Amino acid sequence: MFEKVLIANRGEIALRILRACREMGIKTVAVHSTADADAMHVRLAEESICIGPPAAKYSYLNPSAILTAATISHADAIHPGYGFLSENADFAAMVEEHEFVFIGPSADHIRLMGDKIAAKQAVKDAGIPVVPGSEGALADADEALAAAEDIGYPVLIKATAGGGGRGMQIVHDADGVKQAYDLARAEAKAAFTSDEVYMEKFLEAPRHIEVQVLADSQGNVVHLGERDCSLQRRHQKLLEEAPSPALNETQRQSIGDKVVGAVRKLGYRSAGTVEFLFEDGEFYFIEMNTRLQVEHPVTEMICGLDLVREMIRVAAGAPLGFKQSDIKFSGHAIECRINAENPDTFQPSPGQIGNYHAPGGLGVRVDSGLYSGYTVPPHYDSMIAKLIVHGANRNECLMRLRRALSEYVIDGLDTTIPLHQRLMKEPDFVNGDYDIHWLQKFVDGTNA
Amino acid sequence: MNWPWNPLPAPWNLKNIMANKPKRDIDEDLVRQLAKLLEETGLTEIEYGRDGWHVRVSGGTHALQAAAPAVLPATTAEAEPDAATDDAIDLTNAVTSPMVGVVFTSSDPETPPFVQVSDQVSEGQTLLLIEAMKVFNPITAPKAGKVAQILITNGAPVEFGEPLLILE
Repeated sequence: MFEKVLIANRGEIALRILRACREMGIKTVAVHSTADADAMHVRLAEESICIGPPAAKYSYLNPSAILTAATISHADAIHPGYGFLSENADFAAMVEEHEFVFIGPSADHIRLMGDKIAAKQAVKDAGIPVVPGSEGALADADEALAAAEDIGYPVLIKATAGGGGRGMQIVHDADGVKQAYDLARAEAKAAFTSDEVYMEKFLEAPRHIEVQVLADSQGNVVHLGERDCSLQRRHQKLLEEAPSPALNETQRQSIGDKVVGAVRKLGYRSAGTVEFLFEDGEFYFIEMNTRLQVEHPVTEMICGLDLVREMIRVAAGAPLGFKQSDIKFSGHAIECRINAENPDTFQPSPGQIGNYHAPGGLGVRVDSGLYSGYTVPPHYDSMIAKLIVHGANRNECLMRLRRALSEYVIDGLDTTIPLHQRLMKEPDFVNGDYDIHWLQKFVDGTNA
Repeated sequence: MNWPWNPLPAPWNLKNIMANKPKRDIDEDLVRQLAKLLEETGLTEIEYGRDGWHVRVSGGTHALQAAAPAVLPATTAEAEPDAATDDAIDLTNAVTSPMVGVVFTSSDPETPPFVQVSDQVSEGQTLLLIEAMKVFNPITAPKAGKVAQILITNGAPVEFGEPLLILE
């Protein structure tokens, strides 16, 4: 096992990794920018090294500074957390070249999953369902009709060279195919150099469901169930829950098995997440995240596993200590992301924290580096805390979450806590009846 | 300031230098001797060092701290050069480190240091080298002046923003 791990991140996730290391008896090195000298994980780490100015480009995104810090502190391994350099294949390769262990997957797997087209092909070949579409460009309207019948309505006709919604037509039935096909080609011709179009299944109101996996270097792979992350605004998740209110046991088993099979086939190691759009009982691959995710605690709460600990163990070469049949899901968990933002306008609100009181009690977990008197620097992401609540069932979880939100005191700046409290009163949310567009409409006040 | 600094080819090898550093073995006899000395002399703190390591024995809390320079304990994250046991240094004219790395006072082990205390330097003159990722980065004088104090020792690891020397 490692003696010393360098944490190449900041904020709550740096503290999260530090906690796992502490419990494993591993010493930690915190690297930080000048703006984070007072951060909680810096204060708690055995060693800390200032690696640069506030701008992430010269500190948290600076491979040379991080590797130099690892060298002078004699670290054995580097945990990249999420964001920053966590999905940078070149950084992962550099870490290994310098004879440190990268606590994550291989550089090759990061690179493969970073290329969206190659990733889609690779997972499709490994048995994961992807969004069905025409194989290449459509020669004429008849071919388009045949493809649409094959895929199933509604379908989307898209310009091969397209982007930004131009050259895109939604078709709901056979009668509309020819007109949409001609229109898409004309639009594509006007907007792009090529008038080639292709077809994909159109998902109207999907949910975002992702499957957590864990794999070791010996080829053992388990899935830890799914998380429902449909509540998003501008592609930023706000609240995540596990299990998804939309899945039944058969669907859960089926997608879990497919993901495990594919991950084993790909030879992937470490924690990873396969993200899907889910509509009408079908899953469609979006991408695979080759890192620890922000919302990993909801999975931990229902599985009783420490994902960071498992990542460190498998990075050190240890085999997984459990099989799929050992994984038992218990109860329901929800995570609220608390951002330093105005809950109505989403204006960022950095500044100094006045009084701070975190909620507690049975089934309540707060992952945050906040403390009274701490100043939230303006240079980084606005997420300052995660409130994670576990209950025996979804209803108990919701009751507990309402209680915990009402206890949480973060004085001195605006946070998204009031938005979460508003959300808890929404019948659609309470019923688990929402898709990826729901939150934006809720925020805009346009939900029916 | 210009980021990133122009790199120079590397005559030193950081890994080798670090590998040759002695590991932190606790010399119990030494600590005991120092503790005894502390009691006899009535001092509150003794710091004793040689060959790139130092031991500080403090009577106030009976805290023992052995620190090789290859390690930066969190409690001393602020710059703490060997001279820090003296009165606080005025850092207004300090030249600080632009990066995390290992500092060198000369271009290779055989040549004399770039600068010494009380040297007059001109703006742009190389004062020190900082090695990061096997690349040597020259630290140049931001202005003309006299080297009042050198706060680091050859081969010491430094953080970003750590004071290196005082230029008056």
